[in-house]
Amino acid sequence: MKTLIVIREKDYGWMSSFFPGVHPLVVPICNKPFIEFLLDFAILAGSTAVRIVSDGSLNSVEAYCETGDRWGIELGYGSIRQNDSDETVMEKNRLFCSEDRVLVINGFIFIRYADKAGLKSFFAETSSGSLSRCSSGSIELTGIPEDVSAAPGTLPFSLTDLHSIDSYYRLNAEILTDYPSPYVLPGYSNEPDCHMGRNVVISKGAEVIKPVVIGNNVQIMKGAIVGPSAVIGSNVIVDRESTVSRSIVLDNTYIGEQLDIVGRIASGNTLVDPETAFLVSMEDPHLLAGMNKAARRQGLVLIRYLAHAAIALLLILLLILPYLFFRILLSVTAKWQTRAVTFYGANEGKSFTSALPSISCGGTTCSLFTRLSLDRFPMFFHVLAGKIGVIGSFPLEVKESGHGETEIFSGYRPAVFSYAEAEDWPADAGESAIVERYYAVHGTPAQDIVLTVKAFLNRMHPGEQE
Amino acid sequence: MKFQIDSSSGPHIGIVTLTGRVDARNCTELQNSFMSWLMDTSRFVFDCSGLEFIDSSGLGTIVSCLRKALDHNGDLKLAALSPKVSMVLELTKASKLFSIFPDASEAVNSYVTGTKE
Repeated sequence: MKTLIVIREKDYGWMSSFFPGVHPLVVPICNKPFIEFLLDFAILAGSTAVRIVSDGSLNSVEAYCETGDRWGIELGYGSIRQNDSDETVMEKNRLFCSEDRVLVINGFIFIRYADKAGLKSFFAETSSGSLSRCSSGSIELTGIPEDVSAAPGTLPFSLTDLHSIDSYYRLNAEILTDYPSPYVLPGYSNEPDCHMGRNVVISKGAEVIKPVVIGNNVQIMKGAIVGPSAVIGSNVIVDRESTVSRSIVLDNTYIGEQLDIVGRIASGNTLVDPETAFLVSMEDPHLLAGMNKAARRQGLVLIRYLAHAAIALLLILLLILPYLFFRILLSVTAKWQTRAVTFYGANEGKSFTSALPSISCGGTTCSLFTRLSLDRFPMFFHVLAGKIGVIGSFPLEVKESGHGETEIFSGYRPAVFSYAEAEDWPADAGESAIVERYYAVHGTPAQDIVLTVKAFLNRMHPGEQE
Repeated sequence: MKFQIDSSSGPHIGIVTLTGRVDARNCTELQNSFMSWLMDTSRFVFDCSGLEFIDSSGLGTIVSCLRKALDHNGDLKLAALSPKVSMVLELTKASKLFSIFPDASEAVNSYVTGTKE
């Protein structure tokens, strides 16, 4: 059997305001992209080949699913026009649909089932025609059944409309509380209703109440309560004394201290009330960090500068001889070049330019040069000038298009080393911003000294990053 | 930001109409103005029907205004919160600190009847 998934923009267009830039088929439901639920169903129904067709772009779906090897199926993609009728769509996919039974999943729908084992025989025995329909889509079967003598049974599945943010929210909650769940959810599960990803740190005094699904690289800080009915994505920090219950926190989100996220969807700096579909975009992440924190931190500025300048001076003294040695050595062999790079400064509208070495060699020399952080040596002088910190955020390069500006968050403190490097956090800018935001709120000068040493040593002994 | 005294129901009640945004750029102005309004009354209603956005600084300022009103044996009540502003108050638990009313007139009446919401 084969499966044809037909999905049109008009059915999922409502999602774009809540999940901008994310294709609805890869929007997670309980931490698993929606498309995976559809593929699971197709495979359980006996499909060996699946084709996804849409009148919108499928690039991100294709990038995620690739050729379907991961699921042991043959996966293909196609496009249709906005005003193509269902008949035209079938006609356009005639080649795929010929000589076989085809299950057609049409629309933006979630398919519920309880008995996984019975799906294959049901589809093998059921006559062709429309099997089920709801306002957002339908399921149809074409071709001749394998066993025509079998009596049609009751439908082993049902359809759920996905037509609003509330339906998306309720679906997550229902899957989470379905016990025993027929769906395979990501993460390991030592006990029912609790799925945990990799690198999840639950601090002493934090509480996790089932049912929950927690993604990879998650920190739940002291006094925080997560659950019941919480879906926490990957690269998330739930800070001290915050509560996340009956809520969905999507990937790359920082939940500040002492906040109540109850019955909401949090994604980055956006908070959605699924019931009313009201959406608040937090322009300053410090709102997520308690009201008086920002003011209290002002007093730390001078102490922080002194601590950072002292470390920078120490590192200059330590590294100046190796730096000069490499510079002379590489200049002699004509492998030394410098590149002027302009980065956004900590204050709005400010920037700074640094002439960074750009050496054109490979092997041990280059590796040693980077391991000793000599590629960043000139930046230490900017620390002394008070333009940047010795540890903070990855400095964002000023691009002609001005695109880099959008990545700046209000806790942005450009520095020689980043907190993400100290904590061995994934190097991706979006993901590292989470750990940087955390330290933007909690970092102390003493902690900065320790983290600078850690970042320096981590660069010296680069481990395997996921 | 507009301030007026309402004495129609008896006690002097300061009605502050907030519009647009209360954020880092204008919260100092609100803070300073509030100190002068405190000379006239210690009972306030912040009419938020025109308030579109509030950030951490704005929220901190309103909480500080509440504290000052309480120090003067008064109160500060919020009225007509938009869903978005309401969400921010709930998120930060600040909603637990204030009496919140659907509109300014109900908030004003509550000073007379002693109603709490």
